[in-house]
Amino acid sequence: MSGGPRETANGAVSRRADAILEVRELWSGYGDTMVVRGLDLRVPPGQTVVIIGPNGHGKTTLLRTISGLIKPRRGEVWLAGDRVDGRSPEHLASLGMVHIPQGDLLFPDMTVEENLLMGAFLPSSWRTRRAALERVYGLIPGIRERAGQRARTLSGGERRLVGLGRGLMREASILLIDEPSLGLAPVAIERVYAAIRDIHDVGTTILLVEENFTHIGDVADIVHVVEMGSIVRTGPLEELSRDRTVVQTYLGAL
Amino acid sequence: MHLTDVIGILVETVVLGSIYGLVAIGMTLIYGTLRILDMSQGSMVMVGSFVGWGVMVVAGWSPALAILFAFAITFALGTFTELISVQPLMGRRGFDFEMVTFITTFAVAIVFANVALQIFGPFQKDVSPVVSGGIDIYRGVDLSYQNLTMALVSIGLMAALGLFLARTRWGLAIRAVAQDLDAARLMGVPVMKLYPLTMGLASALAGIGGVFLGAKFFAYPGAGDLPLLEALIVVIFGGLGSLPGTLYAAYTIGLIQATAEVLVGTTWSLPILYGIILLVLILRPQGLKGRPEEARL
Repeated sequence: MSGGPRETANGAVSRRADAILEVRELWSGYGDTMVVRGLDLRVPPGQTVVIIGPNGHGKTTLLRTISGLIKPRRGEVWLAGDRVDGRSPEHLASLGMVHIPQGDLLFPDMTVEENLLMGAFLPSSWRTRRAALERVYGLIPGIRERAGQRARTLSGGERRLVGLGRGLMREASILLIDEPSLGLAPVAIERVYAAIRDIHDVGTTILLVEENFTHIGDVADIVHVVEMGSIVRTGPLEELSRDRTVVQTYLGAL
Repeated sequence: MHLTDVIGILVETVVLGSIYGLVAIGMTLIYGTLRILDMSQGSMVMVGSFVGWGVMVVAGWSPALAILFAFAITFALGTFTELISVQPLMGRRGFDFEMVTFITTFAVAIVFANVALQIFGPFQKDVSPVVSGGIDIYRGVDLSYQNLTMALVSIGLMAALGLFLARTRWGLAIRAVAQDLDAARLMGVPVMKLYPLTMGLASALAGIGGVFLGAKFFAYPGAGDLPLLEALIVVIFGGLGSLPGTLYAAYTIGLIQATAEVLVGTTWSLPILYGIILLVLILRPQGLKGRPEEARL
């Protein structure tokens, strides 16, 4: 199974969709500063791909570029066989991409339930929003009790859970999750990852970024290590976590 | 001050405040979502006043039809205005978006005013009271049915807007865009369609306000000038982008103006009003309900 482009006789590029998401030679950043530098990545269907690496090395920028919030400078993004780099975030959302961003980006003056309902904004999911709401309340503990509360009054952990729940309100062809453990207490991290594991177990394709190995053990199928905006190591979690160079260089003491 | 005065003031406050609110609330809606001060809102009032005159006086149809027509026509005009004067500037860099759209929407307003001048001429069209009669609420305090109708319809429309924003899919989307643009786009909200529709909706409310103001005063090409200024003052006084603040400010300004009119007469009511506004804004520059540094629906 090759994910590479095939040149046809007339030079047009066609591609088999054997990866839900494929990123090729992607360059992206802010102004003249490139944070993602020639990054390649494939996410096969049903798998959870985790990117780890230190802060400031392009993980968040990568996800924001994939979901259309930032336009890439160069390179390609393919979603289920279609080239999508440069498309708007709302267009990518309509193609089934769900991005759960860093810092939640909740709607602060909406209630928890209104935030969740916005997750089902697209016409196809709006019709089944009540059922989705029940499913999310069932999947993520502790947010049903907060349904009528304004998002700005929630604790950090509750916000992360609501952000996750909002991302689960519609069918995702791929789910991008940005550092779900950031700034959370251990108990809250456990709840967030339990929810992610449930989503992973039902076969959702996930691209997740984290700063380190600590929490991803139960969910990661493939792990990439990113440094200075490109991927420097790739492999299954067990292999990378045994690699002393990787562990010491990127992850600090364990 | 007699009880008659107090009741008279309260009646005028509700009538004035409701119409101010209706005209200004669209401006708040637009500021909240697009982060621009839409200077074409006054021309929507002007267009509404002519629609009211045309439908009720010239065609002799009912006020309800005038409201309906004004809604449809100013909705279309507002959408059009967004598409030609705001949308082309979006996503571009190197200039102050808020200032430039302030000018471009004002330019559109000038065009509208001169088109109206060309078509209808400079003279004021009298829209005689279409709803006659009234009730004597309290010893000489009259409430005309016309004023009563205008106040009730305005309040009803503002309540409907509130329900729309709180309960419907597109209403939630408008608030979402106001509160976090990136997140709203990630949810799939098509902002490039939502912006013109929001401006259309806001303009339609101003247009209906125009039917009322035209009936209270006159229809003429300059009929939107003073309402535009008043709406600007209401939204800034209330706190830019805050819907509750806008309503609060509309009725507060109505109250101050009505009180000053009854107690010291019309000559001094405006200077007193603006004196109080100046004082409040010096003490509280973010307005009555605005939060410093942020503005959300």
